[in-house]
Amino acid sequence: MIGRGHPWLSLAPALGVTAVLFGGGLVLGLMGSFGMGRGGFTFDAWSAVLSEGRVWRSLGLSLWIAFASTALACVIGLGAALLLRRRFPGQGLARLLFQINLTIPHAVGALGILWLLSQSGFLARLSAGTGLIDGPAGFPALTQDRYAIGIIAHYVWKEVPFIGLILLANMQSLGDDPEAAARSLGASPFAAMRLVLLPLLRPALIRAGAIVFAFSFGAWEVPVLLGQSAPTALPVLAWQRFTDPDLAARPEAMALAMLIALVSALLIRAAFAGRS
Amino acid sequence: MVRMMAGLGGALILAGGMAHAQDGTSDTEALLGQSWDEIVEAARGGEVNVFMWGGADNINAYVSDYIGGLLEEDYGITLNRVPLTDTAEAVNIVLGEVEAGAKAGAVDMIWINGENFRTMKQGDLAWCGYVDKLPNAALVNFDNPAIANDFGTPVEGCEVPWSRVQFAFAHDTARTDAPPRSIPELLGWAEANPGRFTYPAPPDFTGAAFVRHVFTHFAGGADALIGPFDQARFDEVAAETWQILNDLEPSLWREGATYPTSITQLQQMFANQEVDLFFTYDPAEVGTAVVNGIFPETAQSYGLTDGTLANTNYMVIPVNAANKAAAMVTQNLLLSGEAQLEKAQPDVWGAATVIEPDRASQEVQAGFAALERHPSVVSIEELGQAALPELQADWTSAIEDGWIANVGN
Amino acid sequence: MRTALGLVLIAALMAPLVPLALWSVARGWFFPQILPATWTLEPWMRAFAPRSDIPGALLTTTLIALAAAGLALALGIPAGRALGLYRFRGKALVELALLAPVIVPGIAVGLGVHGVFLRLGLTNSALGVVLVHLVPTLPYVIFVMSGVFANYDAEAEAQARSLGARPLQVLWHVMLPAIAPGVMVAGLFAFLVSWSQYILTLTIGGGRVVTLPLLLYAQAGAGRNDQAGVLAMLSLAPGLVILALVARQLSGRGMTFGGTR
Repeated sequence: MIGRGHPWLSLAPALGVTAVLFGGGLVLGLMGSFGMGRGGFTFDAWSAVLSEGRVWRSLGLSLWIAFASTALACVIGLGAALLLRRRFPGQGLARLLFQINLTIPHAVGALGILWLLSQSGFLARLSAGTGLIDGPAGFPALTQDRYAIGIIAHYVWKEVPFIGLILLANMQSLGDDPEAAARSLGASPFAAMRLVLLPLLRPALIRAGAIVFAFSFGAWEVPVLLGQSAPTALPVLAWQRFTDPDLAARPEAMALAMLIALVSALLIRAAFAGRS
Repeated sequence: MVRMMAGLGGALILAGGMAHAQDGTSDTEALLGQSWDEIVEAARGGEVNVFMWGGADNINAYVSDYIGGLLEEDYGITLNRVPLTDTAEAVNIVLGEVEAGAKAGAVDMIWINGENFRTMKQGDLAWCGYVDKLPNAALVNFDNPAIANDFGTPVEGCEVPWSRVQFAFAHDTARTDAPPRSIPELLGWAEANPGRFTYPAPPDFTGAAFVRHVFTHFAGGADALIGPFDQARFDEVAAETWQILNDLEPSLWREGATYPTSITQLQQMFANQEVDLFFTYDPAEVGTAVVNGIFPETAQSYGLTDGTLANTNYMVIPVNAANKAAAMVTQNLLLSGEAQLEKAQPDVWGAATVIEPDRASQEVQAGFAALERHPSVVSIEELGQAALPELQADWTSAIEDGWIANVGN
Repeated sequence: MRTALGLVLIAALMAPLVPLALWSVARGWFFPQILPATWTLEPWMRAFAPRSDIPGALLTTTLIALAAAGLALALGIPAGRALGLYRFRGKALVELALLAPVIVPGIAVGLGVHGVFLRLGLTNSALGVVLVHLVPTLPYVIFVMSGVFANYDAEAEAQARSLGARPLQVLWHVMLPAIAPGVMVAGLFAFLVSWSQYILTLTIGGGRVVTLPLLLYAQAGAGRNDQAGVLAMLSLAPGLVILALVARQLSGRGMTFGGTR
């Protein structure tokens, strides 16, 4: 660290681009939601959106997806990290697969999950082949179902390696065995992990969890393949309005997009507040 | 989902800045005064920009290779096919250009029908009154109401017909030997076979067409709905239709808790034995699917005894097209007996013709008579015996919105 | 026990990729077939046939990702240096502003940015797509580079300068070699983020700029599962290449940044 200074010249280009593209995009979206692109300022789009039952159902669904995915990914990711920090046959392969998973685009993963878990998918056919079910209807509805199981399964599949690798990297920098001292004082391995390791990992886990939450809340690519026709996730609803031939739906699409951004912004707040 | 890559309407597509050749024939008055040979000479060596839905490889190949090849060979005209995900995109380009006063537009021809055509005609965006100049227009029976009206909008010489389509159902003879052949039978069949039927949720194009079939049935037939939109009648029929469709839900796939989001999904579900019935606007598609290994060989398409919706699709020339002469030559070629016959070949496209074969040459007539139909495809004649006209666009959008609000949520 | 769990984990990680791979070599593969009834390389051959738009999309996606990564590095390295090496008032706010795009979903930005790009004539162009890809890629680069610079030994620079080296020489001979591994990681992750973009590409590119993710959704949506399978396999390719290049950096360095998503 050089110390105090004013490196504004170094920061200016990045800040400029971010301000114009990201900040500008948000501001224009906000303006669009007030109908300002077509002259005039109106709350019509917002009042239409906020009074529509469909929107609240979509918001509820998206929140459910995000919370469930994040919680599961964090718990399983932590477990996977604990699993992978010690040697065992297959550890190398598992770590490699974790890293490969990071590079897989969400669209590819979602399609794969669809073809794996649908009622006529790969697992269903294995079940039919072994005589467990009679036909597609006998297989549980894991995709396009009201609990969004398929969507959550995809996010968990994709984010467990993400969280796992972050935690592993953190554990590496913490040294070989931070819980050794606690165990030598008589604590059980589980208690040592809970009381020593977890608090040390907490900041990274929270930050990674925030990223996962925001993505699983605001992504379009996954619910469009794996979700129900109604209620549909909030980003899908926003995109439907944006591409509606009736141009009057456009401000509503912007309002929905702003709603998505707002919830995400509240998340940044929460995540960064827990940081220091 | 191809439709999801939808054009975003309005001023989205910047037509300005696109360089395009002009054959100096934007002056429509002059064109209308010329003889056909003069028009062909004016078009020779130029180009034509055709904007059309690009989601089917076989159709793209037919237009680019067969039609494009003939244009090049016989007239020296270069055909530029611009693929669209949604026809509305092209309409919006023309709209934007005309509003901005652009004289020579980027769009010379659009593959169009229904609401999009109505938008163009009502907005004075379509070039009209030239159809008589096309020699091959004599092959078409313009008195046929199915050709003279496009989804209830009178054509009045503002577009040239290209193909006919008719809604048809399909079943797998190995699974279902007695499929329902009318709407009431279908409703009863669904209840007797719970979970084996469903339909894509509107605004999917084909799903909306299915809902229109149900609506038409409960209106007492297509005759009851001819003409402009009638709010009172709509409300009456809609109330009953939504009731029936909602009552049907427990017998549908997933008990109606969710619907397939696209006709493609329904196609996959039919192939995967999740449902036992399929339907499509293009009965030839069933044959193609069997050939491609998507459907089993035992798949069979069929029509309904109380009729299915049939419509015609057209090619329109925008009023500000830059290459009108070349567009006219192209349209004339599309209407020719040979081109219509080629298009009707099952391994090319299998699309139904808009011309009267007996007005064409002997060879073309023989060709049509010898057309082989894939065994899985129901014959056009059989389907055509019970063809229902499409409703006007106001009915269509009201039915679609009504379904989304009352049944789909 | 650990081994058993490990095997379950490995199986779960590989499972969704299996049907994708199988569809890419199948001609019709429907319930209840567990394995395709007909194996064929036809989907791959059709994918690379002259009329196919896949090779073009492959090139477009790669070029756009390279350009976006390059731009992101050009902007992000100096910013990362500033954040990593300096303390200053308002630093937390600047960090928040620069890293916020990671949290705010692309759709919120894309719909809004579309309007201004339209007026600037940047819609339906690869340039517009590259620019809008900067929104998700830049924060990643900044995040990685600020971490790299936080561990950077600025003393070496001071020493070089005290020995009479000019600023450009310091840059080239001292800083760049030191941060090179980090730059590579940041650049390659930016490449991956751009590579997998869909909504931003579709919104700004208007369907005219055709990238692999667009084709993937189009083919899957048209029911062409075999082509979608091929596209899925192709989409995995750069990730594997990048991983091979970067693996040493990832496992060796104990970086706090775990990877892209």
